[in-house]
Amino acid sequence: MTLSPDSLSPFTHGPPVKLFWRRAALTDLRRKVAAIEGRPPQYDNVRHAFSDKAAPITEAGTPVWRFGVEAIDEALPDGRLANTGLHDITADAYGDGPAAVGFCLALLRRLQAASAGTGAVLWCENTQAAREFGGLYGPGLAALGIDPDRLILVTVGRDKEVLWAMEEGLRAATLAAVIGEVTTADFTASRRLSLACADSATPALLLRHHRDTATSAARTRWRVAARPGAADGWDARAPGRPRWSLELTRCRGGRPGSWHVEWNDATGDFRLAAPLADRTAASQPAPIRAWGGPHLRRRAG
Amino acid sequence: MRLYALNRSAAEQGLAVGQALTDARALIPDLTVHQAEPAANAKALKALADWCGRYTPWTNTDGDDGLWLDITGCAHLFGGEAGLIDDLVHRLKDLGFTAHPGLADTPGAAWAIARHGNTPIADPGEQNEVLAPLPIEALRLDPDSALLLHRLGLKTVGPLLDLPRATLERRFRSPEEGEAVLTRLDQAMGRRDEPLSPLHPIPAFTARLVLAEPVLTAEGMEAVQDRLLANLCHDLAEAQKGARSLTLHAYRVDGEVARIAIAMGRPARDPRHMKRLFQERLETIDLGFGVETALLTADLVEPLLPRQIALQASDRLASNDAIDQLVDRLANRLGEPHIRRLKPYESHIPERAQRRVPATQNGAEWMTSTRPRPLRLLDRPEPIEVIAEIPESPPKQFIWRRVARRVLHADGPERIEPEWWRQIGQPVQERVRDYYRVEDREGRRYWLYREGLYQAEGQSGKPAWFLHGVFG
Repeated sequence: MTLSPDSLSPFTHGPPVKLFWRRAALTDLRRKVAAIEGRPPQYDNVRHAFSDKAAPITEAGTPVWRFGVEAIDEALPDGRLANTGLHDITADAYGDGPAAVGFCLALLRRLQAASAGTGAVLWCENTQAAREFGGLYGPGLAALGIDPDRLILVTVGRDKEVLWAMEEGLRAATLAAVIGEVTTADFTASRRLSLACADSATPALLLRHHRDTATSAARTRWRVAARPGAADGWDARAPGRPRWSLELTRCRGGRPGSWHVEWNDATGDFRLAAPLADRTAASQPAPIRAWGGPHLRRRAG
Repeated sequence: MRLYALNRSAAEQGLAVGQALTDARALIPDLTVHQAEPAANAKALKALADWCGRYTPWTNTDGDDGLWLDITGCAHLFGGEAGLIDDLVHRLKDLGFTAHPGLADTPGAAWAIARHGNTPIADPGEQNEVLAPLPIEALRLDPDSALLLHRLGLKTVGPLLDLPRATLERRFRSPEEGEAVLTRLDQAMGRRDEPLSPLHPIPAFTARLVLAEPVLTAEGMEAVQDRLLANLCHDLAEAQKGARSLTLHAYRVDGEVARIAIAMGRPARDPRHMKRLFQERLETIDLGFGVETALLTADLVEPLLPRQIALQASDRLASNDAIDQLVDRLANRLGEPHIRRLKPYESHIPERAQRRVPATQNGAEWMTSTRPRPLRLLDRPEPIEVIAEIPESPPKQFIWRRVARRVLHADGPERIEPEWWRQIGQPVQERVRDYYRVEDREGRRYWLYREGLYQAEGQSGKPAWFLHGVFG
């Protein structure tokens, strides 16, 4: 049955009907705007008004790509990373480049776990990035829980080519994800990529140079820095799990924030970590040396 | 300065090739001369041979002024042999060339007719009759042999054919010379095979389209390409083959040939895929004053058995196909060497443990190492300066790229021995490496190694430290 003001008028008075229709129109407009912006509507007071219509935006069956850390997931729209969108990752400083790549791969691993996917991933890199810290290393990727065989590597000399390759990969609509490393990408380029992401329902991660200040059309924008981690649980002198400080500088429909996280290679989980005081090696408490501990054995050998 | 070539009216005035320019000027004071450019001539001739690809894929140049065309199986497209020759001569005339065609069963006979004959076509098996009245130079003999035959009174091919072979051979100074003449004779008569090679390799599959009106626009060219692709892919499907590389030849009205080529990682015969690969290049093609004939050739062909079409897009085979097609598109734009996949290699030396292979080679099995391995590995380990507490212990501090880094945590060593089987006969012996995973005060993680041992016997030089990779 279609509702019209006339069919309602016998039961209600004039003004409430007007109010009802105004609200419905407003709700409708909001939903349209939300759809254009590609985010779920945030207004609690109106959500109930079209809850049955709002549901399809988060279709059932699509993988839920989240951090698994409540504090971070809460800050994201709909409690998860959009897997039909572009996400920017920037290293905080030059030396944090590898940390940004690590974070990017950690997100990829989370996506893979969520979708149980085995699809191919296109990794487009700028020759410059590869020269800075070396090329991607298969055994290292495997150790992170990412099958290197799924990766198609594109190594080209210019950002323009990287962006073109990324867009082509997205348009193919057959990849699990597309990742690109660029020195800079302007707003138009990121807008093109996010449109391609939405069209093909494929997520994309864009690793930017730490000095890149261009505006971006990405859904979320992260700044990543390496942080000193705790020692390994079994060997007090060995490095433990990697820690990163994540800063969500921009998030459409979400709340920016910053967190310290620890990444667990073995399980593929993030965990909030209490920021450590900047201690030097000298001021650190002496490691507990258990009899026959790993380091002692090594010494003897 | 001598005359290199003449036009018809100059020849009619009594000038000859090789004549001194001063003599020629004395005869005809207002003679127009141009500097000869043999290199440019050769280039133009080759371009013309290319242009003749519109008639047959088998074309080549002959000497300074001739073209070979093998029209086996092509004549019917132009209304028979006479029709083809007529078309060829007329088009060459439009391009500004005077052509003397010759068509026969053998290259030798065709050459003789083209250079010395009057009727352009020798019907099958009639080369004897056609060649008999021609001068013996028509047999492509070297000047000495030709002179000798002239002295013997053998001025035309006919008497030479009647002569017993044994007596003919005896008249020459050396048996080789006689043999050479007989070979040329046999080649002209089709008694001996004459291997010739074409300018371009003959494609296995070809689709051609002759256009009634020259095509001037990219849109028009796209329609032409669609038809060619459909025809070619149909032929490929019938033969259960797939193409690995394709070339589109556009024969322009002005006699130029524009070409664009695409390559594919795996054999394919999907016209839509091929069209997408061509799409970008098609815009760059120079159509000049229009294209009158278009040719699509499959240059590299491999077997491709028919396969059941996937029912769902999520089908694994279908998605593999889609990825192959994506790789092709990337490779055609960016260059095949830029698209790679990682493949494990059985070696415990870190830099040898992976290889970059073409992206179509997937399906490699990766083992997860129990040892720490970096995310990125430097192509060349970079030397670092290290301060360690005691020689065999992990570093306390190191300087990499001029920045000092204090080590907070270190894990190791992991000893990696050189592969002795690679060392045999090598002048420089690789040394033992001790790898450490370290974390500095900023939380950045590196993979360092010390090459060589302290107090090792028979070892050259002191141990050295290197940074080999970074962790995320």
